[in-house]
Amino acid sequence: MAEQVTVTCAGGCAKVVLSGKLDAVSAPGLQEELKKLIGQPIEKLVFYANDLEYISSAGLRVIIFAKQKINVEAKVYFIGGQDAVVNVLKMSGLDTFMSIQPTFEE
Amino acid sequence: MEKREFPAILAHLETMIDFVMRSAEKQGFDKETLGQIRLACEEALVNVVSYAYPGKEGTVEISCAPAPAGGIVIEISDRGVPFDPLSLPEPDTTLPMEQRKIGGLGIYMVRKIMDDVGYRRADGRNVFTLTKFLK
Repeated sequence: MAEQVTVTCAGGCAKVVLSGKLDAVSAPGLQEELKKLIGQPIEKLVFYANDLEYISSAGLRVIIFAKQKINVEAKVYFIGGQDAVVNVLKMSGLDTFMSIQPTFEE
Repeated sequence: MEKREFPAILAHLETMIDFVMRSAEKQGFDKETLGQIRLACEEALVNVVSYAYPGKEGTVEISCAPAPAGGIVIEISDRGVPFDPLSLPEPDTTLPMEQRKIGGLGIYMVRKIMDDVGYRRADGRNVFTLTKFLK
């Protein structure tokens, strides 16, 4: 199986590729990956959600965790999210605190 | 009515959700509503898995029945620590991310998605009932 790189960081911008389901089972693994970014100078947290089919509160908590622990001032982008996933963001009120866009443009 | 018992551990979450979804699919909900039911189920079940049996093993019993006049009634019960999920304060969804607290978001979403939610403590069990009507 090819290694899947889901979290990369360059030029102060962390790119996180989400796919499949981000739920109570898969969220802890992503959180562990994001912990590796703590201490690095990151101003943008860009979540690519084109292949994300489902997100639950566990997934939302990882996004909150990323902002709280990596850089509270970082701007959060949510790219290419499907309607059902964006609806969950709206339900939680988190949509007002991130830039929800079809493609990444700063 | 379909009823099944599962070990209350994360490894069984998918199986638990699949059990509910197989029942929900028979009720005639559209794809979007099924997705919401799936989410509400996960949130309710994760709470049992995470908090009902601290430091020990336990089970969760799930039953699904058609709602009168269309829809589904899901009952999730456990023999764990007495806990009323409806007693949790609602999270403040106007708070920016950096001020959000950890808890409460899951049950908040259950309440937003489902048409009716209920809790009772009976015979040493927490019983959490979720109802979604067919519109």
